[in-house]
Amino acid sequence: MGFFKDFFHKDQRADRRISDESQEPKQPSTRNLSNNIDYILNALKRTEDLKVRILKKGDAALLYIEPLVDQDKVQMNIFNPIEIGRVDSIHDIPSAKETTNLEEAVNSLLRGHAVYLEDENRRVSQFSVTSVFNRSVEEPANEKVVRGSHDGFVENIMVNINLVRKRIEHRDLKVKFFKVGKKTNTNVAILYMEGLADPEVVLKMEERLEAIDSDKVQSPGYVEEFVEDSAFSPFPQMLNTERPDRVVANLMEGRVALFSEGSPTSLIAPATFFMFYQAPDDYNTRWYTGTFVRLIRLASFLIAVGLPALYIAIVSFHFEVIPDDLITPVKSSINEIAYPPVVEALVMVIIIELIREAGIRLPSPVGQTIGIVGGLVIGDAVVRAGLISNIMVIVIALTAISSFVVPSNELSTTLRLLTFPLICLSATLGFVGLIFGFLFIAVHLTKLESFGVPYFAPVAPLRLKDLKDTFVRFPIFMMKNRPKDAHPMDYKAIGESREWKKNEQSKKS
Amino acid sequence: MKKLSLLLIISALILSGCWDQRQFKNVKLALSIGLDEGSNGQMTETVSIPTVRGGGEGPLEETVQILSSDAHTVLDARDKIDRMISHSFNPSKMEVLLLGEDLAKKDIYPVLDNFYRNPNSNLNAKLVIVEGTARKALEFRGAGEMRISEYLNGMLEGAEAASRTTGENLQMICAELVEEGEDFTLPLIKFDEEEVALEFSGLALMSGEKYTGEKISAEQAPLLMLLKGIKGRFVQLTRKVDDNEEEILDYITVEVMKFNDDMKINPSKDEIKVDISLDLDVRVTEYPHDHLVSEKVIEDLNKKLSEVLTAEAEQIISKLQEANSDVFSIGRHIHAYHPDVWKQMDWKTMYPEVQFNTEVNAEIQQHGIVN
Amino acid sequence: MSSQKNLKLTNRQYFFLIIQTQIGVGILALPFDLHTAAKQDGWISLVLSGVLIIILMVFYWLLAKKYPDKDYFLLQQYVLSKWVGKAVTLFYIVYFAGVGVLILLLYGRMISIWVLPNTPFWILSMMMVAVCMYIVCCDLVVMARLYTMFSAFLIFLVGLILYSVKDSRLFYLLPVASDGWGGILAGIDKGIISFLGFIVALVIYAKVEGEPKQKLKTIIFAQITVLLFYLSIVLVTFTFFSTKEIALVSEPVLYMLKSYQFPIVARIDLFFISIWMVFVATSFSTYLYLAGLGITRVFNKKHSPVIVLIVGLSFYFLSLFIGFNLVKLDQFSSYIVKGGYIFSMGIPLLVLFISLFRNRPKKESAT
Repeated sequence: MGFFKDFFHKDQRADRRISDESQEPKQPSTRNLSNNIDYILNALKRTEDLKVRILKKGDAALLYIEPLVDQDKVQMNIFNPIEIGRVDSIHDIPSAKETTNLEEAVNSLLRGHAVYLEDENRRVSQFSVTSVFNRSVEEPANEKVVRGSHDGFVENIMVNINLVRKRIEHRDLKVKFFKVGKKTNTNVAILYMEGLADPEVVLKMEERLEAIDSDKVQSPGYVEEFVEDSAFSPFPQMLNTERPDRVVANLMEGRVALFSEGSPTSLIAPATFFMFYQAPDDYNTRWYTGTFVRLIRLASFLIAVGLPALYIAIVSFHFEVIPDDLITPVKSSINEIAYPPVVEALVMVIIIELIREAGIRLPSPVGQTIGIVGGLVIGDAVVRAGLISNIMVIVIALTAISSFVVPSNELSTTLRLLTFPLICLSATLGFVGLIFGFLFIAVHLTKLESFGVPYFAPVAPLRLKDLKDTFVRFPIFMMKNRPKDAHPMDYKAIGESREWKKNEQSKKS
Repeated sequence: MKKLSLLLIISALILSGCWDQRQFKNVKLALSIGLDEGSNGQMTETVSIPTVRGGGEGPLEETVQILSSDAHTVLDARDKIDRMISHSFNPSKMEVLLLGEDLAKKDIYPVLDNFYRNPNSNLNAKLVIVEGTARKALEFRGAGEMRISEYLNGMLEGAEAASRTTGENLQMICAELVEEGEDFTLPLIKFDEEEVALEFSGLALMSGEKYTGEKISAEQAPLLMLLKGIKGRFVQLTRKVDDNEEEILDYITVEVMKFNDDMKINPSKDEIKVDISLDLDVRVTEYPHDHLVSEKVIEDLNKKLSEVLTAEAEQIISKLQEANSDVFSIGRHIHAYHPDVWKQMDWKTMYPEVQFNTEVNAEIQQHGIVN
Repeated sequence: MSSQKNLKLTNRQYFFLIIQTQIGVGILALPFDLHTAAKQDGWISLVLSGVLIIILMVFYWLLAKKYPDKDYFLLQQYVLSKWVGKAVTLFYIVYFAGVGVLILLLYGRMISIWVLPNTPFWILSMMMVAVCMYIVCCDLVVMARLYTMFSAFLIFLVGLILYSVKDSRLFYLLPVASDGWGGILAGIDKGIISFLGFIVALVIYAKVEGEPKQKLKTIIFAQITVLLFYLSIVLVTFTFFSTKEIALVSEPVLYMLKSYQFPIVARIDLFFISIWMVFVATSFSTYLYLAGLGITRVFNKKHSPVIVLIVGLSFYFLSLFIGFNLVKLDQFSSYIVKGGYIFSMGIPLLVLFISLFRNRPKKESAT
């Protein structure tokens, strides 16, 4: 299937779009050196960082955009061969790429190449002398793990693909490049395992990427909003990650990863709700631990979304549900609070959001101070002042902590946002409102789709086998099949890997 | 469409407000309520309302307000009390309901009706009969115990653990209250003038919907519970088994480890025979006489204990018959298993005539870590 | 999404769709209804009506199997000729609307009695209609997925009910059939009412994937599950309450749970009724869907959110006419119950009978 689809689309799309310049405008070079240089200078609007080095006493010129090239590379790739005397002319250097199209020369200049022109010669030689400034591939700050690999993606797309390829040494790993953004010409790549990823999903991704008609594309966050299914849903429908191991794991489940130049974040589609609750750490610990931690994380979803609403419903509608022994402590705590519980909760939630937002962009020592001032001082003072009951402080603090438990930052903000409508509902109708709120969320999650794949899989639609890696984490050798939600073409992931045990036992007997 | 419905909901919520909001902080909780017979056929309702201040910061300060009023019905009285307090008072977390002796001797269902009818009421509350008036019990303030409801509740829980009461709440009583051929017992509480304390004084025997005035003493209550087949966390029986000069040497205290009760009903047209047998496996917890090493001593003790307990069981049952209180649900059993016989008789007159054949067997299985 | 639209239901989804439709507003009052008719023998009536329903399901299956690619409304148009079929479908729409409105009314009443005594009916009804319109405005497959997910709550409900077994006394069920079989037979009527909703098995039969035999199995398993669930409720409440007492409480399940207190929460009935609302929502959505489907078949339209919106709003406004009025409600529900017999038993059996004289559909007529 996938093969045929690809076959038909091959004529429209070549694999490496960088080298595909057939559609670009053509401007044949002339035999006159100064005409050629003039054309290039004008094409680049006589920008002053374009360096023109006159060689051979005016008969030849080497052009490059100075900030983009590495001087050492210019020396080594262009002048060294001549000085050693291996070649007679710069045109003869084997690493040169020849063209007679000046438009192409302009584009390659922008990519950081050097262009060599000679008088009385239409040949234009291009040399790749780009300077690359890379951050080291250190662990992303927002996706730290205790055990496991500690490298992360950087702003260079090639380095990122390199990190992925190093982990999947297989011929099926396929990369497709796209140029997105009419002015920025941002390089966007999608990666997938041919023969594993659902060709329909890949096709959808390609169609949507090509449909983007925008001057600039800054980051994957930009791309995400263009390509996701329901832009009005509060839930993120693509998984953001900066971890190569996470990308690789998802590629091997038959999903598609999207990278874009200049951003270390990779987007993974199709995503399901429960993917946001799987952390790489789960697979590096014993599976009991992994299961336990994951259950806690999923419980945190309910706490983060529903706890304040539940508390409000209880305190202002159904205080009968408080057990006898707790009734006096709760009563004494809220007895003299001036505001109704809804106001209390909203004030507290907003305070927490303020503290978080204030702390997030400040340098870490200042951020800590904000945390201490906000958390301890305000929290304590607000209770002493009788504005907010201490039980409400506990409830909101617990909610805030729970919302940060989610391994994904996008979902975490979503959860905190969802608290508000639920608070309003439960403050008007008590438990009844709360149930309606949860019903709405459940229905929405069930309806949501990410690239044609149900978002709430494997719970709705229910797939009992895939629950092995949803609420719990089974031992890896027991997860023999890939999760069905990504529609992989080949389900079998793991064969009998513990045969040795049977062999050993039979040997013993 | 999604947007439309959302818009509708939001506007509805903003426009409407909250009809059923009952702020917990604005509620006066009545944790224990007492009902007594008042003058002129009216009734008196007494409530104890605790008010707590200073939550979290510093020591809790608690004041208790005890109010009572005369009225025609329970809710009428509540309405009158409502006028005396700030905010409104709410019985939905009521823990104990006390009935004065005199009131309980009349029909108790009408008094309980509002608790059964109101969806907010707490059916997990315990019903207690007070010897004397409920008001007096509610006004009692013991040393140490903060609240009367806590005190009474703790006392009842203790009684339930020691198998002195059934531990039934308001809801479970209801079944036995309305069903024919079934009666029940209620814990009975007395104000002890000498010790200045409330005391669990036994089980009040109910007949139909009325308190008979008869009671099973607190000492005998565990045995009745065992005969009914109910055992709390432990059952301890202290019985006299000897006749020495020193009194303390005469008694043995045993704890029931395992028990097995059996009731056989043999109804015929004009006579109903009921065989009740109870086998107890006991552990000796106090027997100053010692020498529990020889088999003969133990066997003698077994025999003696069985005799004493059998006699006591007979005594209990004769008391039940006297009070016409069918706590074993014998009537309902006859109805269930022998519907023909049931139809032909009037159980209330028949019950005192039932011939009981009671047998209690006690067997010592352990005697602690000394002999 | 093209890959998601027009998906057929799996047998599992079919199963949950049926039981979620059947288990609904009635479970709270079921023991009381059975008891008023048959005293402590109500459970026998329930079992008998369950057996009757299963037999009826076989007839349904015989009918639906003959026209495997037509849903019930199209099938009527084929068997009864186009215009008669459409007319009958119109009656069905009215019936479904009636049931939907009845569900709304009973739900509003229950919430008003037990949880929110002062909240006006229109807001309770509106919330329910809004949620259900949101459920239905998508595909049947999405509904089925949702129902499957919500069925997890069934375990919770059963758990709560079984918790009360510790206080049940079996001899309250005795004596069996002491007042003769008259009461038990009268109770069958009440039992069948509690099963209403099985019509959905017939209507969406064509939208399910699989062999006819497998489908029959699914339908029957669904009925058995519902029966067992009802039976557990009835037996537990009958043994928890005494025979006399149950006559006093009209929602025995809630009443039973009201007296329990767990260490962390008291008043379990409030939680039970909250979860029960989910089941109300699912049965109501099914009727909304069925009415919408009927309309699409009568007017040859495509299933669209607009139709759902119209149907939902008309359900809502119809429900406002009666509101909390008890007399009107009783009258209305007695009409609906009678309608239930006609529409769930009479007409399908009649259609089956007529279809015996009709040829199987020719291949080219199948669209």
